[in-house]
Amino acid sequence: MNKLLDKWVNDMTNYTLSLAWRLFRHETKRGELTIILLAIILSVASVLSLSLFSERLKYALTEKSAEFIAADRVLESNKPVELAWIEKAQDMGLNTAHQTYARSMVFFKENMDLVDLRAADTGYPLKGTLKVADEPFTQGIAIDRLPTSGEAWIESQLFQTLAMTIGDDIEVGDKIFRVSKVLTGVPDAGFSVFGGDPKVLILKSDLAATKVEGPGSRIDYSYFFTGESGVLDDYYDWLEPQLDREIHDWNSIEDDESGIGRAVGRAGQYFLLASLLAIVLAAVSIAVAAQRYSMRHYDPVAIMKTLGAPKKMVQQIYLLQILFITALGIIIGVIFGFIIQQLVVAAIAGKVDVSIDVWHWRPLIISIFTGTVCAVLFSLYPLMKLFSVSPLRVLRRDLGANLSSRLIQFVASGGAIFMLMWAYSQNVKVSAILFISGIILVVSLLGVTYGLIWVGRKLGQGRMGAWQLAWARIHRRAMDNSVQLISFAVTIMLLLIVLVMRNDMVQQWQNQLPQGTPNYFLVNISQAQQPNLQQHFVTNQVEIDKFYPVIRGRFVAVNDEKVLTAVSKEDPDAQSNGRDGLGREANLTWSNTLQKGSEVIAGKWLGENNNSDTATQRPYEVSIERGIAERMQLNLGDKLTFNIGSEIVDLNVTSIRNVNWQSMQPNFFFVIEPRALKSFIPTYISSFNLPTERKSDITQLMQPFANVTLIDVDARINQLRSIVDQVSMAVEFILILVLAAGALVLIAQVQASMDERQQELAILRTLGAKGSLIRASVVFEFIIIGVVAGAMAAAANELSLYMLQTQIFQMPASLHLEYWIIAPLAGALVVGILGALGCWRLLSLNTSQLLRQMV
Amino acid sequence: MTPETMIKTNGISKTVTTTQGQLQILKPISFEVKAGESIAIVGASGSGKSTLLSLLAGLDEVSEGEIYIDGQAMQNMDEEKRAQLRGAKVGFIFQSFMLVQSLTALENIMLPAEIAGRDDAKKRALHILNLVGLDHRASHYPNQLSGGEQQRVAIARAFISEPKILFADEPTGNLDAANSDKIEKLLFELNQNSHTTLVLVTHDPVLAGKCQRQLHMQAGELKEVFTHSPYEQTARQVG
Repeated sequence: MNKLLDKWVNDMTNYTLSLAWRLFRHETKRGELTIILLAIILSVASVLSLSLFSERLKYALTEKSAEFIAADRVLESNKPVELAWIEKAQDMGLNTAHQTYARSMVFFKENMDLVDLRAADTGYPLKGTLKVADEPFTQGIAIDRLPTSGEAWIESQLFQTLAMTIGDDIEVGDKIFRVSKVLTGVPDAGFSVFGGDPKVLILKSDLAATKVEGPGSRIDYSYFFTGESGVLDDYYDWLEPQLDREIHDWNSIEDDESGIGRAVGRAGQYFLLASLLAIVLAAVSIAVAAQRYSMRHYDPVAIMKTLGAPKKMVQQIYLLQILFITALGIIIGVIFGFIIQQLVVAAIAGKVDVSIDVWHWRPLIISIFTGTVCAVLFSLYPLMKLFSVSPLRVLRRDLGANLSSRLIQFVASGGAIFMLMWAYSQNVKVSAILFISGIILVVSLLGVTYGLIWVGRKLGQGRMGAWQLAWARIHRRAMDNSVQLISFAVTIMLLLIVLVMRNDMVQQWQNQLPQGTPNYFLVNISQAQQPNLQQHFVTNQVEIDKFYPVIRGRFVAVNDEKVLTAVSKEDPDAQSNGRDGLGREANLTWSNTLQKGSEVIAGKWLGENNNSDTATQRPYEVSIERGIAERMQLNLGDKLTFNIGSEIVDLNVTSIRNVNWQSMQPNFFFVIEPRALKSFIPTYISSFNLPTERKSDITQLMQPFANVTLIDVDARINQLRSIVDQVSMAVEFILILVLAAGALVLIAQVQASMDERQQELAILRTLGAKGSLIRASVVFEFIIIGVVAGAMAAAANELSLYMLQTQIFQMPASLHLEYWIIAPLAGALVVGILGALGCWRLLSLNTSQLLRQMV
Repeated sequence: MTPETMIKTNGISKTVTTTQGQLQILKPISFEVKAGESIAIVGASGSGKSTLLSLLAGLDEVSEGEIYIDGQAMQNMDEEKRAQLRGAKVGFIFQSFMLVQSLTALENIMLPAEIAGRDDAKKRALHILNLVGLDHRASHYPNQLSGGEQQRVAIARAFISEPKILFADEPTGNLDAANSDKIEKLLFELNQNSHTTLVLVTHDPVLAGKCQRQLHMQAGELKEVFTHSPYEQTARQVG
């Protein structure tokens, strides 16, 4: 390859270089290269700005999200790890911190409660902040220290359950702690509402004195790390061979299955999708421009060949020109891309409260690579056509290129697009879905277009008005028009995909946390209290949610195998977030109706099994959550045995549900059919929303119900909402960028097609056709193309979105009927206006100028 | 072939494939053109003049027969070799001028010399631009020039490489009478001064009459050959 290149360069004479340079200079000056240059600039600028912005934003969000695990990476373990591991991390320049978790009883006078005891050492939290308050159930403020020795910070609900106040002493194991602060927030709290027992934070060095660490106790250890992402990866590479999957779990925010993790993940995929589509748009515009460029150079090539230029010289001249154009396009594109991105960053700087000033090289490299690959591969076929132009064209003006096979074009362009998608996304699935649906779309559109053009021409026969002229023109160049129509349709479709995905995604995020999302949960409401509590809330004008009955059940067996053995390997307690607190005890609820946001993915919902005749004999049904089913390797038909109160209850797994843990609604791992729990007396849980300004009412609101535990999730909801808002905002800007890219592609297409129309317009003009007739016919032609392209785009959009939503974004698929009207109308409007503008430019020239401009 | 023969054809014909089958558009033709001679290929539209010109100039390949240009057998050459031959020995003038639109008048003239790798391309181009009276238009682009001026640039471009043969395809076909006269005069003057062999395709009998010989084409056949006294013709033309 290098030898070939050397030979190519050596063969090149100074004249070739100077001729190529002069042609390039003059053509740039004369505006000949404007479209292809714009296309390259567009591809580089859009890819750079999109990917730089998304990379920065992703970094910023990851940084922010990292606060939710209190570090960049966390090593979780159910045994203390070797000191050497931590020392190694420190040697590599990583920051480390450590926290030990224990479930322990806490005593205050005659009261006691099971708590989530956290013993942290200096440095914790590495990311995010601890928040404390001086009064329970009040707004906390950030604090940058840990409790001192002998000091404990406890969560609000514990003040309630233990009936204590600030300054009281509590007993944890063998040690007494003075409670000095209300713990209102820890970064790594997780998002599960009911899983967690109230947290008690103490200093790591105090843990030993409590003696809660001992045989049979449940202790987990978290080791936190922060540092350069590359160093973290290197450290993990070193660490990984020493890890035992049964004991250790290495986590980053990307592995986080909480709302934040998913929102960040989905936003990342959206940015990726938007950037991929921007690449496709840019590629389309380069292909269009390169085709036009090639056709406009048939004559110069024929002239040069006639004057004795060897084929190699012609090839070198034009390849050099493409290189010059590409280089110029890349330079200007990089500058523009950077400016656009900077503008976007400046525009959202006040709204996104994270620093996004970190420079990333990857987008720059990717955008230069994209510009080069697009320019070279998409120019390949037009250039090959150009090189095949016969010198005989100087005598026979109708002779075009000799290359008739389009196979090379399809292979080169298709290959280039797929390669770029793949290289960029490093995700074969996303690339393949977009690529294959693109091919299906193009092929089916080709058929539809031909049919439509044929029908339109049949309908349009008769006296030569503007409409007939428009249809006649479309019909005469059926192939060209089909290609043009398809490129319009593809452009509109890509824009629709980006638009609709954004709408659906933002909508879904906002639906998860609508205004009025419960920010307090009530647990442990007795049956007798329930009506009073409800009435009390109504009186105080606080709307309270549905009451869910809850019974604690202890796991006894799975398929008659004792649960201790069955679950010890995959102990759900070792998992964070939604799985906390399940352990050997679980909250059981019963219901005949499926909860909002839940979906049965296997089996049938409770009571839907067709066995009502033997209702009394059949085993009780239970529906289990997907995650717990996987973790505990439970399947449909398995028998679960619970010990409830003093009774043993057998349950038959009849359905598995997907539960939306992001919904901030009470969710349950196990939902049992009501008849099974008829004889038990449950407690109830519920939730309500109390606006921030009424926060001070909480003590008065809860006063009559001292035994009811109040869980405050306001801070978590606000954190989640702020992330969602920021991601939504970023998505809006990405959308605007892609729309701009799409608009530019449409302009390039219309302009390229205007070249083809120039001769015809000149002839019509020469024959005395009125400007208004010509203008109207061109506008009608573009309106027809716009409507058809819009309609086809709407159809193709549904297909692509269905695949994207179900396969990539893991969102429920949705129909978008409104776009079946919007897309054709918008297509007609935009394409019509662009056509009118292009036509206006041509018609502003007089006929002789028109004829002279024709090369 | 005698040394002074510049072009020799031996039964050359051209057959093309159409949807109706093979169509012979040029029937076997044989003739010779001496060095320095001027000949006109005349005939009605579609008679095969341009096809003959394209074969003689090596722009197209013969279906049968032999063509020798300055003693070199062109039928054995591939497109690359023919291009080399054209670059070394042939100049062209076309009805539609065929200037490169994105190069200036001067650069268009320099083009053949640059393709041939001559170091003095610019100097020669300026000189010849002066000869055709367009030195003040050197930096103009073709679309900024009148038809007559464009054709003068094309003539200058044709002569810059001092070709042995000049092929001109309807050189005045796109020009008005006044410009036609100027171009004809310039063409014959330069031709005579540089002792170039001129092969001119035209359906204009007056222009054809200024050449020493005329080959009359009719329906793909070479029908008649008229010969004039070269000295008488040239005297009338230039004088």
